[in-house]
This record gives sequence, C-alpha cells and structure tokens, in this order.
Amino acid sequence: MTKEELTEYIKDNFSGEPEVIENDQPEPYFIVKAEDVVAFSRFIHDDPKLQMTFMMSLSGVDTGERYEIVYNICSYRLKHRVFFKTILNHEKPEVDTVLDIWPAANWYEREVWELFGITIRNHPNLTRFLLPEDWDEGFPMCKGWVGKDVIPFPERK
Amino acid sequence: MGIIKKLPVYAEKIPGGGLVTTSLNSAFTLTQAKSLWYFLFGTACCAIELMATGASRYDFDRLGMIFRASPRQSDLLIVAGTITLKMAPVVKRLYEQMAEPRYVLAMGGCAIGGGPFYYDSYAVLKGIDKIIPVDVYVPGCPPRPEALLQGCLEVGKKIRTLKMDDWS
Ligand code: SF4
Repeated sequence: MTKEELTEYIKDNFSGEPEVIENDQPEPYFIVKAEDVVAFSRFIHDDPKLQMTFMMSLSGVDTGERYEIVYNICSYRLKHRVFFKTILNHEKPEVDTVLDIWPAANWYEREVWELFGITIRNHPNLTRFLLPEDWDEGFPMCKGWVGKDVIPFPERK
Repeated sequence: MGIIKKLPVYAEKIPGGGLVTTSLNSAFTLTQAKSLWYFLFGTACCAIELMATGASRYDFDRLGMIFRASPRQSDLLIVAGTITLKMAPVVKRLYEQMAEPRYVLAMGGCAIGGGPFYYDSYAVLKGIDKIIPVDVYVPGCPPRPEALLQGCLEVGKKIRTLKMDDWS
C-alpha cells in the first residue's frame, strides 16, 4: 500500500481517532492517545491488510513540556511501515506495555522507564539494566537534568 | 613468588652474594619484560586497534606478547575503550583477579580521562586511574598500533628497572 492508502485504511478501520501528522517521509505518522496505544497496536498487528509484525524501534522523547513515545513498526511481508507516537504529560507519564504484541518492546520499554522515568504499566520486569545498579540521580535523558558528576560543556567563545 | 622474593635476602648474606642477586634480578626482569601476556579487554572502538596490533601486520607476538582470555593468566591489563560507570566495578574486579606482578596500560583518551565523553556525560568514568593504578598511558583516539607497541615497550622498560624486592 502507498502512504495515502495506508493512512486512509488505518483511519477508516481503527475505532479510535488517530491524528495524522503531515510529513514528507514515505511513512504515515499518527498521534495516538495514550489509552489507545494497545488497541491501536493490536489492530495494526492483527489486521490482515496491515500485518505489522515487526517492531523496529521504540524511543522516548522529552521535549521539555511533554513526553512522547515513538513507535516505529513495519511489516516484512507486505513491505510497508508506519510510525506513531503517543503524548504523555509531565505530571503522570504512564502508558501500557505493548510487550505481548511485539516481544521486541521488552528492553525498549525498560530503557524508556529507566532513562525517562515513564511508567510502563503491566510490564513484567521493569528493572535497571543500563545505569549502575546503585544509581539514585534520577532520569538522565530528561531535559534539564543535571547529575552531580556531569561536567558541562564549556561555552564556545 | 614467596621463595624467589626471599632468595636475594639470603643470597646477599653470603660472600659474593650481591653478584648472584643482581644477575638473578636481571634475568628475572628480562624474562618478565620479554613475555608480557596481556589480557584482552576491549570495550569500545580502541579494541579494534588493539586487535589490529595483535594481528599479523603489527604482530604483538614478536614482543612475546600473547593475549589471554583470563585475567589469572595475564601480566598486563590493556584497557582499550570507554569504561562506563556500570563497567567500572568489573574492571576493578578483573584487575584484582590478576596475579602479581601486574601492570596496567591505559589505551586511548577514554581510558585515560573520559576522552570524547568527558563533557556532558552521565555514564562514563573519567579515567580508569580513578579506580586502578595505571603504569603507562597511551594517548590517542584511537592510538595508532605503533603507539600501542611503544607503550608496551615502555611497560617492558619499567619492568627492567624494578628490583626483585619490588615484586610484591
Ligand atoms: S579513545 Fe576514541 S577510539 Fe578509543 S575508545 Fe575512546 S572514543 Fe573510541
């Protein structure tokens, strides 16, 4: 399917209302509400016309005002891709796990939890694996985070 | 090392024993310096250069340097690469597992002082000399194989200057 067909198909057939982000990339890009993430994932994974069975990447973003989680999904069989993201507020960043849909999400979600402090609900094993075990300085990927041992880059003259 | 360490103490007491001691010392340090087995410890890009140095073109073997995969069999720890805070306890433990006498060579900017990750990094140890003693530093990012070879020769030179009593 082409980008336009994919966008239309997903918008027509998914019960929630994903917002479309216009871009000039070859993939459609959606914003999905945090409570819809699992339903949307299940839909694009199971639908026979989409068959998005492969998770390429899952990444966290902190823009300063809000958190985002970006999912990059593709289908090897039908050779198309779709990107979607969900927006979380700073007060209570929480999202459900997509681990049972794409097992590859396991470590990505742990990483997002560890480095951004976004809670992943229903994740079976949310434990540290990137930072030292006795780490207690918060979430280093967040905007404005300053650790006690970090030496800031000097200003360029 | 126990008996060898005691040997000069006994030998020095008999007439002409000093001669024996110095010759022995020379022999022991020479053999040590000429067969430095090193522990393969590459954690980042510098490891590629370490491998290149060990391979046939630059050929560590001609210096009597053979890599070992176990710290218990090696004399020299070449730390080649970035050491993250998570890796730091592992480096320390491996160093402690090496049999004495043991030497450490810090290879590349990362092992010396954090290298390109000195500023704005939450995860990188700023130099392995914060956790273990270092004998020779080889700067570069990464150092050329020639530089690493020179560094190993420097370790050898350092060993030649040691007295047998220094070997603890
Ligand atoms: S010193 Fe440079 S080449 Fe060596 S590990 Fe660090 S970044 Fe890589």
